[in-house]
Amino acid sequence: MDSEADAIVKDFASILEELTFNSRPIITTLTKMAEENISYAQYFVDSLESRIEKCVPKQKLYAFYTLDSICKNAGSPYTIYFSRNLFQLYKKTYLLVDNNVRQKLISMFKTWMAPNESTGLPLFDKSALDKIEQFLIKASALHQKNFQSMLPTPTVPLLLKEIDKLNLLTTERLKEKPDDEKLNIKLVVLSQLKQELQKEKLTTAALKPVQMQLMQVFAQDQQLLQERLRQEQYQKEQQQLQKKQNQFNPLGDIDQQQQRQQGSSHNPLFGNSLGLKPPGASALFPTSTLLTGQDFSEFEKASKLSKLHKLYESLESEGLVYKPPKDSVVNLFSTFNKGHSGASEIDADSKKAPLPSVTELHNILSDCKAYFATVNIDILNTPSLQISQKTIVGNNEIVHNNLINTLYRSKPKKCNVCGKRFGNSLEERRLQSDHLDWHFRINKRIKGSENTLTGSGNAGGISSTSQKNIQSRNWYLHDSQWVIFKDDEIVSTSNTLDNTAKVTTANVENSTRAISSGSMYDAAKETSPNTSERAILIDENLLRKKYVVVPESSEDMSFQCPICKETVSALYDEDLGEWTWKGSMEYNGKYFHAICYYEAAKNNNNSIGLELDLEKLKNLISE
Amino acid sequence: MSILPGIDSTPTTNELFEGTNEIHKLEIEKGYEWKVEVNAESKLVIEVKSGIAEIFGTELANDIEYSFYNNKFSILAVEDVSLEWRCPEIPEQKLMIGENKTAKYVYNLHFSLEKMRAASFDGPKVMIVGGSNTGKTALARTLCSYAIKYKSYQPMFINLNPEEGIFSVAGCLTATPISDILDVQSTIWGHSMTSGATMLHSKQPLVKTFGLEHIKENQDLYLATLKQLSEVVKLRLQNDVLVHRSGCIIDTPPISVMDDDLTELTTTFKEFNVNVVILLSDEQEDPLLTKLNDKLSTISSSFNLLRLPILSGVIERDDVFKRSLQRLAIREYFYGSPSVVLSPYTIGVDFEDITVWRPINFIENPEETSQLLPTQLLPVEVKPTTLQHALVAISYADRKANESNVQLAPTLGFGLITEVNDKRRKLRILLPVPGRLPDKAMILTAYRYLE
Ligand SMILES: [Zn+2]
Ligand SMILES: [Zn+2]
Repeated sequence: MDSEADAIVKDFASILEELTFNSRPIITTLTKMAEENISYAQYFVDSLESRIEKCVPKQKLYAFYTLDSICKNAGSPYTIYFSRNLFQLYKKTYLLVDNNVRQKLISMFKTWMAPNESTGLPLFDKSALDKIEQFLIKASALHQKNFQSMLPTPTVPLLLKEIDKLNLLTTERLKEKPDDEKLNIKLVVLSQLKQELQKEKLTTAALKPVQMQLMQVFAQDQQLLQERLRQEQYQKEQQQLQKKQNQFNPLGDIDQQQQRQQGSSHNPLFGNSLGLKPPGASALFPTSTLLTGQDFSEFEKASKLSKLHKLYESLESEGLVYKPPKDSVVNLFSTFNKGHSGASEIDADSKKAPLPSVTELHNILSDCKAYFATVNIDILNTPSLQISQKTIVGNNEIVHNNLINTLYRSKPKKCNVCGKRFGNSLEERRLQSDHLDWHFRINKRIKGSENTLTGSGNAGGISSTSQKNIQSRNWYLHDSQWVIFKDDEIVSTSNTLDNTAKVTTANVENSTRAISSGSMYDAAKETSPNTSERAILIDENLLRKKYVVVPESSEDMSFQCPICKETVSALYDEDLGEWTWKGSMEYNGKYFHAICYYEAAKNNNNSIGLELDLEKLKNLISE
Repeated sequence: MSILPGIDSTPTTNELFEGTNEIHKLEIEKGYEWKVEVNAESKLVIEVKSGIAEIFGTELANDIEYSFYNNKFSILAVEDVSLEWRCPEIPEQKLMIGENKTAKYVYNLHFSLEKMRAASFDGPKVMIVGGSNTGKTALARTLCSYAIKYKSYQPMFINLNPEEGIFSVAGCLTATPISDILDVQSTIWGHSMTSGATMLHSKQPLVKTFGLEHIKENQDLYLATLKQLSEVVKLRLQNDVLVHRSGCIIDTPPISVMDDDLTELTTTFKEFNVNVVILLSDEQEDPLLTKLNDKLSTISSSFNLLRLPILSGVIERDDVFKRSLQRLAIREYFYGSPSVVLSPYTIGVDFEDITVWRPINFIENPEETSQLLPTQLLPVEVKPTTLQHALVAISYADRKANESNVQLAPTLGFGLITEVNDKRRKLRILLPVPGRLPDKAMILTAYRYLE
């Protein structure tokens, strides 16, 4: 590891040390570091794993959130590296932390299982995730058992109370579906059960199964309610997701997750048995149960509270009210809930995180608007676009409100080098990444030559103006070449960009007149690559002068000419300040003696399996 | 037009340093534009900090510095824009910022064209007509820029104004498929192909040499050149499905330089199968509209003739400025731009090594008439008075080819004769491409360039 790498890795570790609370900025910073220094991935992974191992249980979750964020934002190779120890790490952590944190670990795990949009695969190695899943299933069964043993000793009044509660819930559901047979039956059964309980004196042992059954029914009902709330939430989220997908977001997924989290607010009532999150949601910033409480109570409040109150009063007046002990189902529920919100300084903290800048919020909003303005646009079937004086010089609402967005924000990803816009479809994303690659290569070529300039200059390079990346204007193409030219040759970003890539250059030897429609066929034929028939003579002195600057990738500073098999060693060129291979040239990533290449090309010697092209050579020579 | 002061006018000590290269902040409200004039001696740097700003339909990247020299253009705020700029020669108090009232018409027009592109493989052929300083070239440039933004169309831009060099030098007519974004910093819209790496994709123009400055100096030659261009363009359209569907945007010379019969326009209309004609004029009942309609109706019955108001962003371009642009185009052809530095190549040749022809100029030499074909080229004697500092077009025709072959030959490129030594009978010629002087015939243009 060189000193720079060392510094970055140390930096990463020391920032990680500060992750003693759920800090979005710290996690973001770490994520960015990981994204920007992929080459040190293994070091970051080691550092994070050891942090998860060694820090106090309370802080392990935050380290896991960092792992989660890095993998979701930077992807491979982090996902690969972390997959190796993921199960052990997860298991150890799970066993050490409290239920609250376990819940969060489970939520996070669920997001890992959701298939990635582009790859269709889960975040981590399937086998690691499978192991965790198996482990969690076992653990939750255990949890369930513990839970049972924690139940209060059943007493008749306690069970009666539960029945009342169930009654309430069922009546509530019945309001929505008055015709539901099952619910009606349930009500009847409940009231019968109640009567039975009130009538008979049962032993505790006999009461136990009743209690369990009730609990299950209760859970079912709760779950149904939950399901509905979740449904609503999910729809909301989907909308947000759609919006989100159309916006330029330099922070990547972190903001997105944050937003989604705030939108999602289902209530993990019984912990892991119910905590299902919609796919794609992340556990980075845990659900705010405060919100959940509100949602849930709002749903109940209106009708239930008053009824409950009445019921309570009437029951109390009858002396039937039983004050549940601390560990009853009801109390357990509320303590669980309270505990949740009590332990949520984390949430409060994430809420305190600074909002994105106004500009960014504006961008998000405008991108959303643009998306919706153009979502169903079909220009062919848009009326009022028929070209005429009236439609052009008038106020065209559909142009102004909808279509105009197709030129701007409906492609929300703006290249920050040239301003060109890209959309959100997979194809557009591919185009964008090719485009960025292209900028990168171009910049490297331009900057690369500058660097070698200043780096090698003897007396402070800035004043020295000799350039390696020497270029000049090309001759214009002959008409016959131009008519069959396709601009894709220029704009294709997937082409390699070195000088030797296949580019159409002017066929200077062509001295025919401008072509006309009649002669098109001949003209096209004439430019077809039959150049080998035409003798192209090249001054051998020029070939000898040709040289190649030894590329940095060259390990032993020499190459073997594929034609004469002679080894060519580098010589230092004082004037250039560079190591060069004299009398050599590069073609398609291979190096040759320029003269060997010329001879082979002239004699059409194709034995070395290379496409030899004299035209190209000529261009190379003239550079 | 209402002129608003720059918004940021906090009086600071900076004002004491007027003339230094201080950074100014500027907010441009949505729908407004800043009309910018930068002379040849100064440099304006603009960096968009937020919002959407565009120049002639090309959107600027945010947080990137753009530099402008010898340029006149308008920055349109598509959305509220805040930007930073610096240029010691532009006084902050006198920025020309006004509402753009014509952008919406340009959008309307663009989307009508877009519909035509979607509807047929044979895209719209748009001819833009108007007087000087009405925004013809700006409109053409904007339409080209918009056309490539949503779908990957490649509209063919055709410049028929020989006084303007677009992707080339002045004195020629060009056709260029616009296959990627244009360079907002460039007065010639960007680079034609070079041998190396350019920050933006270069373009591949077809160039036909007219050689003279003004159409009326030899209208027949102009029309012949125009037809040569259209012949090749037609073949390209036949061969290039994408360009064919994208259509052509044709910029024409100012009405004032054409004859009363509008021969140049009717020829263009016919040769390029134009189906949309845009007249830029502020006169509701411009008589030109009727005249155009009458003339064009005799050629084709299916075309749309529309009038658009003169573009809001137009800045008067006088002859001095036009000259400076022509010089700039020549310099860029050989030496490139600040971001793409090119290395031209000077060679020495004997008088005998070159053959130069010239077009007939009926205004300068009215006696050269009758027995000659107007399009005929005349031989040029190699001597300092004729060739010193001259820009010559190098044709594809062999040096010893006869006159008619030279006249019909495609253009290979341009050379600049930097020195003519009568005593030693030697010339020095600046060539864009290193190597030998191509053994080709040359055509003397009306342009001179002194380095
Ligand atoms: Zn770009
Ligand atoms: Zn060899």
